Amino acid sequence: MDNLQNLLMGFATVFTLERLAVCGLGAILGLIVGAMPGIGSLAGCALLLPLTYKFEPTAAIIMLGALYYSNMYGGAFSAILLNVPGDSPAVMTTLDGYPMAKKGQPGQALLTANVSSCIGGILGMIILTFMGPMLANFGLKFGPAEMTTLMIMAMTSIGWLLGDDPLRGTISTLIGFVLASIGMDTLTGAPRYNFGSLHLMGGIPFVPFVIGAVGFSQVISLMMERYNGVEMPKDKLTIRGSLLNRSQIKRLLPPAIRSGIAGTFIGVLPGSGATAASFLGYAMQKGFKNKEPLGSGAVEGIAACEAANNAAAAGSFAPLLALGIPGSGTGAVLLGGLMMWGLNPGPLLFTNNPEFAWGLIASLFIANIVALLIAMSIIPNLVKILAVPVKYMIPIITTICFVGAYATSQSMYGVIVMVLSGIAGFFFKKADLPVAPMLLTFVLSPIFEQNMRRAFISSGGSLDIFVGSPLSTAFLVITLLLVCSPAIKAAVKKIRGPKAAQTKE
Amino acid sequence: MKKILAILLVITMMTTAAVCALADFEPSGNIEWYITSSPGGGSDIYTRKIIEIIQANGWVTNTFLPTNLTDGGGEVGRNKVAYTQGKNADTTILTFNSGDLMPMVVNTDNRIENFTPIAMMAMDKQLLFKGEHTPYNSFAEVLEAIKEGKSVTIGGSKGDDVATYQALAAELGVEETQLPYITYDGTGEAITMLLGGHIDLLISKPAAASEYVEAGSIQPVLALSTERYGGNLADAPTLSEVGDYKDVEVPVWRGIVGPAGMSEEAAIFWSGIFKQVSESEQWKTEYLDKYKLINNFMDYQTVKEYMTKYQEDYLASLDE
Repeated sequence: MDNLQNLLMGFATVFTLERLAVCGLGAILGLIVGAMPGIGSLAGCALLLPLTYKFEPTAAIIMLGALYYSNMYGGAFSAILLNVPGDSPAVMTTLDGYPMAKKGQPGQALLTANVSSCIGGILGMIILTFMGPMLANFGLKFGPAEMTTLMIMAMTSIGWLLGDDPLRGTISTLIGFVLASIGMDTLTGAPRYNFGSLHLMGGIPFVPFVIGAVGFSQVISLMMERYNGVEMPKDKLTIRGSLLNRSQIKRLLPPAIRSGIAGTFIGVLPGSGATAASFLGYAMQKGFKNKEPLGSGAVEGIAACEAANNAAAAGSFAPLLALGIPGSGTGAVLLGGLMMWGLNPGPLLFTNNPEFAWGLIASLFIANIVALLIAMSIIPNLVKILAVPVKYMIPIITTICFVGAYATSQSMYGVIVMVLSGIAGFFFKKADLPVAPMLLTFVLSPIFEQNMRRAFISSGGSLDIFVGSPLSTAFLVITLLLVCSPAIKAAVKKIRGPKAAQTKE
Repeated sequence: MKKILAILLVITMMTTAAVCALADFEPSGNIEWYITSSPGGGSDIYTRKIIEIIQANGWVTNTFLPTNLTDGGGEVGRNKVAYTQGKNADTTILTFNSGDLMPMVVNTDNRIENFTPIAMMAMDKQLLFKGEHTPYNSFAEVLEAIKEGKSVTIGGSKGDDVATYQALAAELGVEETQLPYITYDGTGEAITMLLGGHIDLLISKPAAASEYVEAGSIQPVLALSTERYGGNLADAPTLSEVGDYKDVEVPVWRGIVGPAGMSEEAAIFWSGIFKQVSESEQWKTEYLDKYKLINNFMDYQTVKEYMTKYQEDYLASLDE
């Protein structure tokens, strides 16, 4: 009950005209920055952090919170409308978001994304409010061994879960693995596969890679196809046409709630964050019943990953607030913000500055709602983008890809990576290889490598460490089951086969 | 007469321009400040404190953008700064300490010559800490356990923490398999692991650990110094107090550098700003005293000699 009281006190702190205005301003700026591919929430927060120096601390942190959240809302826009994911969590959103927009329901796709984000975010915040310290302690249970086995589990399933052909999915996963190993050794800093190039020593920059592999490759295929594949029914692009109907809302709720809860817990884990959450949310959804198959523009698919990544953002606040340890890159920027105002985030933050800490939590609640309202009001205008004929869209998307790639790396190197991965992505498509497993493995495998090597150092090279804790053993068992599931399914089918055939007749 | 006047005028104008350029360097645009370890760690706290003092006093009104670039053990960030050229070179700054220099010269061809040393701000030292999951109460117990053949895991940041750890292992005469060391991107990450019980001991400088000691979640067990610390770290003995060993102390210097392409005027300007910081009351009370560091300010010329010499000595020690 204490927490509820504290939270209400937090709301009281936030509800002044000035602070609400600041919250709204943060939300608008965040949406704009988030919608620009290549900037993403991390860079967005870092870029706009200096703006807040002029405010008093509480107002400043409220603005940052709003900015952070609405950033993630904006990230879905380009993913759904242009198939250009601005940052890594948005890769999952493109899988169903873009097909749904193509089907003539761009407004609904965007709304699904944003409403689910809001649900996920608020669920995450509620869990954070009442179980913050518990969540943080849950995160502490994840040492190198647990992270390694979790990553093994995730990466084993990526190939099968995304796309129809497990073999092709696995190939794509492995390519992601190889690409991620370019650059410096994660533990000792020794250069690998850099062929003497200074740029390659820093590895392949992720954002240009994603923009190329997903966005620019699509530009190439649009040019190759030489026809206006999708004709948007123009009369449908009205405000009313963008609203979700009742059955869509019904389809959206269960996955959003499930992923919201799961995402919160994943967000707490060290260094995994929103990307892993949105992937696992989507993977989980694959196990449930969907009205349309995932990947073909299903409401459930968008809802599952968007809710999960926003919930993860909330979850990542738990170690930040309870222990003073930032769980994500964006958390780190916020931490920097806190320190700028002379606040010492750490185990003592809640005791020393309760008003501030709870004000921050309350402002994140409000930011969620404000961001949703603002997003809803601009969606009807945004969807008009799709009415632009393809021949004009090609140069526009190309420009966005180039600018986005340049913006993150501030050099032509990013642009070269973008173009090359665009060409690679195009051939992937031609060969029916799914791109998403490669991208996700690219993000996850450094986490895997780092933790595996740390685990081996602390165990002295023994494999025992991976079965040493209940958590990591559980992950290994699940992985084993996943790997064996086709064989088990086949066996079950064989036994029940005749029966099933009979009932069919 | 007219000619002479004209020549004089030209000369005056040229010298004025030259003097202005030297004295009146004004940074333009945002100041990009890179930190090659993760947020919440020692280097991060150090950097943000300096920026805070500069901003609070209005010595530089431009916006500072501190960025943590931990990729490739920090080498990516160091490379990025080393090869920054043109106008941006005057407003690009890198937090650089001895722990950054050591892995850099071992793993890459990057050398201090690729940077413009700007200032030296402080000397730092480390301690070993235990958490609530640590099965040992004191460092004597740790030594006991190692003698019994158990392995005790130490976690910490890169660079200088590793060097101090190696010095400790050498003095104790133990194999690195008995006292394995796990490298994290920054002390902040290592603290998480200590809190979760995934490592037995943490090596950290006072700044990063301070909050946790105050909250009672970790305790110091050994001062890696020739004398005990004061304040809440006073309980930790030095190595010579624990047993028949010499004290282990590997001082870490904390400096600031810019790209090699930084103009001399800019280096003079920044060196002056950091001198002001080092002389401020805030720096003394809120950083040096609070985190128990030693002031050793050096300006851009002195520090250039110092760092170059340090690199030379270190490279020579590797050849032995």
